[in-house]
Amino acid sequence: MNKINKKISLAKKKWKDLEDNTEPIIYVGAASCGRAAGALELLNGIDQFLVENKVFARVIQVGCIGPCYLEPLVDIKLPEQPRVSYNNVNMKMLPAILKSHLLQGVPHAKLALGNFGNESFYDIPRFFDLPMLKPQVRIVLRNCGFVDPEDIDQYLALDGYRGLINALKMSPEDVIGVVRQAGLRGRGGAGFPTFKKWTVCRNSPGEQKYLICNADEGDPGAFMNRSLIESDPHALLEGMLIAGYAIGASKGIIYIRAEYPLAIERLKKAIGQMREYGLLGNKILDSDFSFDVKIKEGAGAFVCGEETALIGSIEGKRGMPRSRPPFPAISGLYGCPTIINNVETLGTLPNILRNGAEWYTKFGKEGNRGTKTFSLVGKVRRPGLIEVQLGTPLREIIFDIGGGVQKNFKAIQTGGPSGGCLSEEFLDLPVDYESLASVGSIMGSGGLIIMDDDTCIVDVARYFLDFTQKESCGKCVPCRVGTRHMVELLDKITHGDGTPEDLMALRTLGDTIKRGALCGLGQTAPNPVLTTLRYFRNEYLEHIKDGRCRATVCKDLIEYRVIKEKCTGCQSCVRVCPTGAISGPRSEPHNLDPTKCIKCRSCYEVCRFEAIAGDAIVIRSAEKRT
Amino acid sequence: MTKEKKISITIDNKQVEVRPNITILQAARDNNVYIPSLCALEHLPSYGACRLCIVEVDGLRGFPTSCTTPVEAGMVVRTDTAEIRGLRQEILKLLLSEHPASCLFCDEHDECKKFMGTIRKVGVITGCRYCPNDARCEIQEIVDKVGLTETSYPVYYRGFPVEKNDPFYDRDYNLCILCGRCIRVCNSIRFNGTLAFKQRGKLTTIGPAFDRTHLEAGCEFCGACVSVCPTGALSTKTSKWYGIADAQVGTTCTFCSVGCRLLLQVKNDEVIDVLPDYDDTVDQGLICVKGRFAIPEYVNSPQRNTTPQKLTPVGYEVITWDQAFDLAAEKLSGVKPDDILVVISPQLSNEDLFVAQRFVRQVLGSPPMMSSVLFDLGNDISSFFDLVLYTSTYDSLETAQGILSVGFDSTYGYTPIGIAAKRAAQRGAVLVTLGSCDSNLDMLSEASFKMEPSRWAGFLDVFTDSLARKGKGKSRGTKEFAGNLNEVTEALSGSSANVLIMGPEVIFSYRRNEVFERIKVLRDRLGWKIIVAHPYTNLIGMLAMGAFPGVKPGELLQNGSKSIKLGIPSLDPTKRKKLVYLVGEGRFDIIPDCDYLIYQNAIMPSSWRQPDLILPTSLFPESPGTTINVERRILTLEKATGQYMDSRADWWIMTRIADRMKKGKFKYKDINSIQSEIKKQIPNFKASKKKVDFVKIDFKNGGKWLKGSTKVEPESLPSATYSSYRGIPLAQVVGGMKIIEDWDRSSSFSDKEAQ
Repeated sequence: MNKINKKISLAKKKWKDLEDNTEPIIYVGAASCGRAAGALELLNGIDQFLVENKVFARVIQVGCIGPCYLEPLVDIKLPEQPRVSYNNVNMKMLPAILKSHLLQGVPHAKLALGNFGNESFYDIPRFFDLPMLKPQVRIVLRNCGFVDPEDIDQYLALDGYRGLINALKMSPEDVIGVVRQAGLRGRGGAGFPTFKKWTVCRNSPGEQKYLICNADEGDPGAFMNRSLIESDPHALLEGMLIAGYAIGASKGIIYIRAEYPLAIERLKKAIGQMREYGLLGNKILDSDFSFDVKIKEGAGAFVCGEETALIGSIEGKRGMPRSRPPFPAISGLYGCPTIINNVETLGTLPNILRNGAEWYTKFGKEGNRGTKTFSLVGKVRRPGLIEVQLGTPLREIIFDIGGGVQKNFKAIQTGGPSGGCLSEEFLDLPVDYESLASVGSIMGSGGLIIMDDDTCIVDVARYFLDFTQKESCGKCVPCRVGTRHMVELLDKITHGDGTPEDLMALRTLGDTIKRGALCGLGQTAPNPVLTTLRYFRNEYLEHIKDGRCRATVCKDLIEYRVIKEKCTGCQSCVRVCPTGAISGPRSEPHNLDPTKCIKCRSCYEVCRFEAIAGDAIVIRSAEKRT
Repeated sequence: MTKEKKISITIDNKQVEVRPNITILQAARDNNVYIPSLCALEHLPSYGACRLCIVEVDGLRGFPTSCTTPVEAGMVVRTDTAEIRGLRQEILKLLLSEHPASCLFCDEHDECKKFMGTIRKVGVITGCRYCPNDARCEIQEIVDKVGLTETSYPVYYRGFPVEKNDPFYDRDYNLCILCGRCIRVCNSIRFNGTLAFKQRGKLTTIGPAFDRTHLEAGCEFCGACVSVCPTGALSTKTSKWYGIADAQVGTTCTFCSVGCRLLLQVKNDEVIDVLPDYDDTVDQGLICVKGRFAIPEYVNSPQRNTTPQKLTPVGYEVITWDQAFDLAAEKLSGVKPDDILVVISPQLSNEDLFVAQRFVRQVLGSPPMMSSVLFDLGNDISSFFDLVLYTSTYDSLETAQGILSVGFDSTYGYTPIGIAAKRAAQRGAVLVTLGSCDSNLDMLSEASFKMEPSRWAGFLDVFTDSLARKGKGKSRGTKEFAGNLNEVTEALSGSSANVLIMGPEVIFSYRRNEVFERIKVLRDRLGWKIIVAHPYTNLIGMLAMGAFPGVKPGELLQNGSKSIKLGIPSLDPTKRKKLVYLVGEGRFDIIPDCDYLIYQNAIMPSSWRQPDLILPTSLFPESPGTTINVERRILTLEKATGQYMDSRADWWIMTRIADRMKKGKFKYKDINSIQSEIKKQIPNFKASKKKVDFVKIDFKNGGKWLKGSTKVEPESLPSATYSSYRGIPLAQVVGGMKIIEDWDRSSSFSDKEAQ
């Protein structure tokens, strides 16, 4: 105990030095999202600038702070000044920012986004007053973007591992009690009360028990877990220690996708540091609790996020779910009692144990306590990683945080590929487990995909079903064969060959799969179709009866033509057309030969006169072929 | 056996008492409640893929599958509500959209079988039979029971080519419903791991990984997958179009000394297929390729001798049995006993062996007798007998803590022993293998040591030494035998239940006597149990019946006396004889030159030697009897079919010859009369499945029987693959065995090249 207290006071001192910096500090958001937007290039640029101008500044790579659309983010903190954040920085902007802020000591207010002080600074607003961030409540993501994820001291300085220290002072039963009082529910999607699962596992006989962290985030467009691990790996690891202590496990396994190399690298580093600090191994912090963590890389099968398939995968078998009961909490990995918790559930635990259950119940609402992270993506103006209290209405998430939709809002899909699509009428629906389930959708692990008028709902349903169909393990009949039939039927509809009976068949199939499939993947796979059939039936009927795709996505139902009145003859479309279907001299309306057109949509995307004169080239739904 | 306390559950409003720790499906079946199911099968781990056995259980969400849900006291189960029926039909429809269904939903379905009133696209004689499993198919039964009369979904024909490249069975995965039975039996019952699921989603299919052939993937061709397949996806090459068998006859396999029980499928007086018996106590249905697939081809082989024949200067002349007996009697009477050599096969039944030894002793006046086992083992026979006569039962492997296999491989034979060892390894026993080439046990072994057979004895010395010191300290050879020898011996020394499996490779190796002696040390000093796997099927019966030089009937069996002195008369097996009489033995390599050769066997060996008289014999599915396996259990042979053409049982032939020679009182009419005489002479020989036990044998002259300086060197036979029956290599008769043998030879050759 003394040892860790010493480490903590040392860490706090180091953190204080960082806050009262005497030299400039440059923070670069270098999680996968930042790197994808060019953060690594910026890091090189910053180094070069520092060398060329012979100034000294400390450069710290931090994780992701959330607003993906603003990446890459570069923050500069001068001594005795608040940290100022610059968004969408590129190599052209970088010298100007550095010159102004670093050399002259004046923030480049024009390019700056926000400051991390307590008030506005040089007319730069507070970062957390930005419309995207203001409605958010950051508990799980509290350190993301602030601390260096590769430095355990920074985590310690911000009261890291305090939750563990508190937990070790209690009995495991009391820890479960705190979690029960806090009302924490599994953040992996199903929302099963965490304490219940733990109690079953704690009471199951068996010397060896396992704790598995499910970091097999497979939903297309979801990145909550990756961001958390990359930005604050110790939060997850501390959560694992607390959970392991509570259920009586001595071995923890993080099952993570191999497609997350940076997350794996940072986890490995973090585990190394924990060993060094005596936070892992035998007799952690001089208590009787021993725990060790292993990383198991998954080969990227969506179904391995299902807990029994995940166990199979760890055991070296083919990732295929098995029937429950027996539940893993009684007979899981190698037949031992096993708890599988999602990254976010585990990441929440340190906060609950640090601040107490009562504090946690202040967030959310009765039965749905706390916060949830979401990856807000799609046609929203401000996509990114967000964290809100449970019970926040969808409208607030989409319009206040997300900044609204690019065109007209059409639908929101919650819960990844096996969630449901909700229409405009549900915008005031509070986001909690029960409300989402009541309208045929799920919370899932937290993907939110926003769709606008440019999205064809039948095509979306087809896309998601095609995904689950391809990712089905092939074990049980309803899932393997049923989804295949559904995809074929949807294919038929998007090709304009659908009949009203197909809608009936889709519903019957969806119902059969939902009730008959073995695992969660199959049981939820028909959700996108069933919900869209319920809320967007008209669009299906349009496809079938009128042969029309209003979003102009289904190729067989659309035809491209040039609106002569609007075309200026700029020839942009002529240049991009891969088949030479568009022709015509400059400054004169062009001609489009439909026999040559392959409907690649390139001309549509490239036409600049959409904004000035409306659609120069419109996509018109073809008459239904007879 | 302690009686488990039964628990009470309610199935369809009926309260029933069921065993605990079973699934709802088993409970329902025990109580005659029908629940349709395709993927579940007794003996296999539950799986829950076909979703047809769904039920409603109070307190459980949705529709749990009864094959995976364990019963709990007070459970209320409904198996046949309207909702379940509807869902079942839907699921079955989905399943059938991947499986050709014209045999299920054809308008002509009922009339078709009677009148062949098919649409005339196919032959009138055959009807639309494209699936070999017609009338045996479990889907047909289920469709009937579930009450499905049509399917509304389009059919996906997956268009896989039928895989016919591997021996013994064909695979048409277009008929596969992916129930996973074959995979489970291959992985969890046989511990072989050849089959696996490949791909996912709609592309999911079954086969060895990386598109290898089954041969390349290490398939044992045990046929377990074929037996459990509910559809026609997997089918035996020889019998796929035969339809349902007329009868099933349980008998014992005589291809090796294990003594597996076989269920012969008989149609039109012909063995068409063989199935394992999962309830058998000897082998638990874990039969090998030979028992599963080689029998129909062997017994129905065109190579079989059909009539008695005699050699004339212009070739063989077909003669009647009467002529044959006269000829044999004349030739046998014409020579002095010392100029005759009778070679008796150890693969005959007890009854044949009993009659054979009586024939030799009472009719021929005790001429020298010999057997292939005597020839193969030469002067090392006494050590071999000391091991083989007191071998332990296979179930000692069930409780074994440590297992050492020496020169043993169970890929194509001795599978019940091999699988028991694998099962033991799987549950945590320490398995160590010693051999000259790769063994199929290596995969699950703690350590495997590879070296020339000549070094095995040396290894066993070091092993025993290290074992005695509990793996501690330096042992003189640990460096030489690279690997974790000390670790292994440390683990083994802690257990009192250790078993050594001695494989046939030992018997056919140089310096085998030294290995035998080392194994005896392990047994006598360290209390190891020994299991010997050898190819001399009824060797125990041969010794019990006294069909062995120097052994009187029954004298070696325990009846009060503690030990017995045994002298094997000395013989020079290479010395020219006037007449050689081969009783059920086809090995011409072990007999000396002679003036006259009587060959009494079913199939001619490939040899330049031409016997002067051929007497065709029946094979084990054609005549009843008993045999004794290496565990010394008496097992029955049942008659499944009539005689093949003019062939006759060995005892029948010898009885008739004796009759012609007017010597000995041979009055055997049928097998019963022989058995009652055996019972009279050998009181210890009891009913079937009982065990016989041997007294301690004190060999005179150390069992050395080879006259003078004659030396018989063992032929090196690497594994069970090269097995033979009555001296005829199976590969000579059975096409598939030839493929396996060639594969084995080429792969072990390339192994050596690689080294």
